[in-house]
Amino acid sequence: MSSSRTRLTVVPTQRILVGRGLALLAALLIVAVTLAAMGRSPITLFGLVMHSTVGSRFGLEDLALFMTPLMLTGAAVWVGIRVNLWNIGAEGQFYAGATAATAVGLFTGLPPALAIPAMIVAGMAAGMAWIFVPAVARAWLGVSEIVTTLLLNFVASLLVYYLATGPWADRVTGALASTERLHVILPDIWGVVHWGFPLAVFTVVVLGVLLARSRFGYETAIAGANPEAARYAGISVAPRVLAVLLLSGGLAGLAGMVEVAGTVHRLQGGIANNYGYLGIVVALLARGSCLSLIPAALLMAFILDTGIVLQTTQISASAVLAITGLLVLAIAVGDELAAYARVKKTS
Amino acid sequence: MSLKKPFFFGRRAALSGAGSFLLTSGVRAATPRFAPVREEDLLVAFGHTSPVTDGGWTHAHDMGIQALKRTYPKLKTLYVESIPYSADATRIFRQFVAEGAQMVISTSNYGDFIRDVADRAPAVAFMECDGHAVSGNLGWYYITHWYASYAIGVAAARLSKTGRLGYVASFPVPSVYAGANATLLGARSVNPEATMRVISINSWFDPQAATEAGSALVDSGCDFLCGIMDDPGYLRVAQDRGVWAAMWNTDMRQFGPDAYVSSVTLDFAKFYIEQVGARIRGDWKPEARFLTLGAGVDRDAWGQRVPEVVRVEADAVRARMLGGWSPFQGPLYDSEGKLRVAEGHVMNDMELYNWNWQLQGVSGLG
Repeated sequence: MSSSRTRLTVVPTQRILVGRGLALLAALLIVAVTLAAMGRSPITLFGLVMHSTVGSRFGLEDLALFMTPLMLTGAAVWVGIRVNLWNIGAEGQFYAGATAATAVGLFTGLPPALAIPAMIVAGMAAGMAWIFVPAVARAWLGVSEIVTTLLLNFVASLLVYYLATGPWADRVTGALASTERLHVILPDIWGVVHWGFPLAVFTVVVLGVLLARSRFGYETAIAGANPEAARYAGISVAPRVLAVLLLSGGLAGLAGMVEVAGTVHRLQGGIANNYGYLGIVVALLARGSCLSLIPAALLMAFILDTGIVLQTTQISASAVLAITGLLVLAIAVGDELAAYARVKKTS
Repeated sequence: MSLKKPFFFGRRAALSGAGSFLLTSGVRAATPRFAPVREEDLLVAFGHTSPVTDGGWTHAHDMGIQALKRTYPKLKTLYVESIPYSADATRIFRQFVAEGAQMVISTSNYGDFIRDVADRAPAVAFMECDGHAVSGNLGWYYITHWYASYAIGVAAARLSKTGRLGYVASFPVPSVYAGANATLLGARSVNPEATMRVISINSWFDPQAATEAGSALVDSGCDFLCGIMDDPGYLRVAQDRGVWAAMWNTDMRQFGPDAYVSSVTLDFAKFYIEQVGARIRGDWKPEARFLTLGAGVDRDAWGQRVPEVVRVEADAVRARMLGGWSPFQGPLYDSEGKLRVAEGHVMNDMELYNWNWQLQGVSGLG
């Protein structure tokens, strides 16, 4: 009797958590040794990081602000991955959603009670519109959505720069490279944390229930897992591919709406802050579970916030980026290692 | 230390209307006083838009900080570089306050991202370079770079054979309009046919994009490159292609000694020493401040290949401006041919600071 290692196809959550925990510990150890070698005290820095993230009111507010767009872009990418579709364009749909919400917030003159729902609808519709062509091309022509959605990110980013510095530029307050402050914004609920946070949590929960319980969730899951089997079962795949990608774009557009209406209050170039790309990381961290998007967004927010705290201690921005990268890499390694289980062989 | 109430003050006040962003808000009743603080107890935090090693804008500010530290050796300072123009900026400024900074200086424009933090930390003194708002605890400062640009423009017209100047810009924002317009206005004082083509690269620090933009401008017939970049990217292009270049921020001649004409050079040392001194003494006040020609901003010593006759002519114009003469007088027309500054009107520094239209002869900016 001997033992060997096998790669599991379905990895229990417990194994994943242990794997990630160990990998993160290893990464933190590497960071600590490096910081010590740079002549910095890892313990002092660790204390500062903990205080400025989970250990103080303003740290918790910052975490919640970071989590808000990450939960939504994470959900946007996650609904695609669930059925084997890769929306790499959440960044672009985020911009589209922020732009449409800004248009409503600046130019319609609606009272807040109407303007905020209108901004939500406009933001989601714009996100859907931005992914519409790639979605149709993927559903009926088989064009890779990875490339088309990615390329549209650059178009959206430049469009926002154009609007924010050109036709929509603020001529009133002298703010640079941004539009006027929105006339209607999402109200704050706790310090700087605004209604976008509960909205994002609610969206993730509803999405999880919907996809787990509804006919739509079931059919899209089948269509994604095995298109041939789905066709055989009488499920037409193309409309479902379109629907999932539109849902994905709508969620990313909602993230853009929430960020501009809740946090930034002006449309400007760079407003997406890489949240679209970070959404891919959040979705991968969450693995198969929709509700796991919430802790995954929290972990990502913690890593990003740690980066900011470390920068104020005179650790260079590039070193901070390297540390952030190392932590994410460690999680990926942890996931992979967790998939290998020792099995007993009997001959 | 955490941020305590008054929390809602910021957003509400900002919502109350555009007026709160304008200079007039300096008259707000509840102006907090900033008590004297001992040098060794004072923590001044600086927020930079690019790395301190950029060799340009942030490097120029960092030189000022080094001078500040020589004057006040016991002063504590910290900085964060490469702060994006996004909600991350708010996080970083909040972190400064949380770490106990009594004075926060952003060396670039962060608009609402710094304003929101300042409103929630009324006991902390804030200053924003290239800012526009003055509140109870937030002031701004900027350099009147347009005079230096005008003098360089005079030299540009003498050096350029084609009369076509190329400008590598970041965004179509007022400081860029002022820089491009002032340079062309200087050039047109010598050669009324001179024109300027602008390419915006959507960044202040992107050496690769600046290099590509510089090449494209030379390809389109420009033989004098200028711009408003933190790095010497397009100076190298000028050196390679045998055309002239004028830079910004610092002396960059080592990157293109044959092409180098001059630079809009910056010196923040005296200003930072004065402001921190005021904070220590307890008489710091939020205000709007221009650092003027010869006192914070100037043209750099001329490049080695700039002929003596050109230096003398441009320096004579500089001397007139130092004496109080302004070249920014009407009639001035925009690129659509519309009269923007009437005959007899002299643009003051606030108007020049807020310049947001392109001068006749400039193309590609707005």
